Amino acid sequence: MPTDELLVVDDLNVAYGESKVLFDVSIHIRANEIVSCVGRNGAGKSTLLKTIGGFIKPTTGSIMFANTSLVGIKSYNIAKMGLKYIPQDKKVFSDLTVRENLELGSYATQDYNWDKVTEYFPKLKSLMERKAGYLSGGERQMLMIGRALLGDPQVLLVDEPTEGLAPSIVTQLQNVFLELSKKTALVIVEQNLSLVSAISERVYAVKEGRVVHEISDESDIKSNVCEQFL
Amino acid sequence: MDTQLLISGVIFGLSIGSVFFLLAIGLSLCFGLMRIISLDQLLYYAIGAYITYALFRSTGSVWIGVLGGMVISGLVAFGVERFIFLRIYERDITFTMIASFGILIAGVGAIKYVWGLAPLPVPSPIGAMATILGTEIPVYRLVVIVISILVYVGIWAFLNKTITGKAIRAGIEDIEHVEGLGINVYKLFTTTFIIAGVLSGLAGGLHAPLIMVDPQMGLEVLPFVFMVVIIGGLGSIKGTLVSAFIVGQVISLGAIIYGPLAQMAPFAIMLLILLIKPTGLYGSKLLKR
Repeated sequence: MPTDELLVVDDLNVAYGESKVLFDVSIHIRANEIVSCVGRNGAGKSTLLKTIGGFIKPTTGSIMFANTSLVGIKSYNIAKMGLKYIPQDKKVFSDLTVRENLELGSYATQDYNWDKVTEYFPKLKSLMERKAGYLSGGERQMLMIGRALLGDPQVLLVDEPTEGLAPSIVTQLQNVFLELSKKTALVIVEQNLSLVSAISERVYAVKEGRVVHEISDESDIKSNVCEQFL
Repeated sequence: MDTQLLISGVIFGLSIGSVFFLLAIGLSLCFGLMRIISLDQLLYYAIGAYITYALFRSTGSVWIGVLGGMVISGLVAFGVERFIFLRIYERDITFTMIASFGILIAGVGAIKYVWGLAPLPVPSPIGAMATILGTEIPVYRLVVIVISILVYVGIWAFLNKTITGKAIRAGIEDIEHVEGLGINVYKLFTTTFIIAGVLSGLAGGLHAPLIMVDPQMGLEVLPFVFMVVIIGGLGSIKGTLVSAFIVGQVISLGAIIYGPLAQMAPFAIMLLILLIKPTGLYGSKLLKR
């Protein structure tokens, strides 16, 4: 195993009650790397991200982040350690303004430098006083990613970021992810293969709760080899 | 209806509604944020009233008693949250509700052991009367109404102007997303629980001079407080205030029109409102766990 691993998941098993969802899943992520997880709905991709983020307790296996075990650590502490999970539901705090949403993003880490957020998403500048419930799907996604950036996380776990978004927003997010990877590692669960092929350095194919393939060859990723796993 | 009777009925309803508001706000916040039905708030209400009685007996001041009641209720609420609820937040809502009912019943037993079964009197700290449109109204009832409105303003400011309050509002929408931002939600739970306990204690202390203090007083107001929370909409402070005043008026004016209406009419109003708006007057469809 290379020594520059930032996040190492080893033999992870997860169950919802009696129903087993993940089987001996092992993945690894290096600093400033974009890794995608592809697979059909219900394959266990989101469960994998949620488990890494501390929202689900694994039955067995290990999750090491910067040489610290994350198993048993509360999700808010994992987020504070620099590993943030961005869920796929695009649920912002709709009763709060964009500014208040960002304030909450700054609260735990006391990082109030919002310039880095508006640098990636300039549109948010003009929406600061708008209630988040009135934002479009794309604007919500920008806000969710933006508030997760506060505190300079080392890893972002992004769950289906482009689902239901207009192509122009997807292109914008693609550029943002590439820009972000200069400072942060990204683990992205995604079904949009053109995005996956455009940004990923490695791809894990997940099927029925198992990692069935790891694609690290750039030409394989670009040639949409992943399509067979959807 | 006699105008004087109507005015005194309205003021009576507003003052009863004020007590219900102070008591219901804790239940509403606890459900909104932690998804627990905190029946033990009714214990802190009784504790507030009994401490008011006890401190009045020792100091001669009802106001010192009310303040002491708030402090002791807040401390008991803090202890209960730390030693019991913190261990069971993850459990099913029925589990936490039964646990809170157990705490209430155990607390009522402790009150009976310390103060006995007989109802105890607390005098009104303000004996003066005010005249409104020719009707004499006890000033104390007006003070209770003003205090509840001040509490509403204070809670509104806390939830809208402080970062902890904003985190609580966000948590009412989606607690998992708040955790995802690195915010320790258990600190929010504790803060909310203490606020709820202090306000329940305040409700008991303010209500004590208007009723006889007795061990069952929490259980006696239980159905009305539930109604207030449900009519107002779970997790809504504004809804809790509005519905508390509605329930207070229905009880008060209902009793003037026909005695048994005081008990029955609030239920009829609740059913009517829920038929029209199942989430309550200001309830959010966004609440989820």
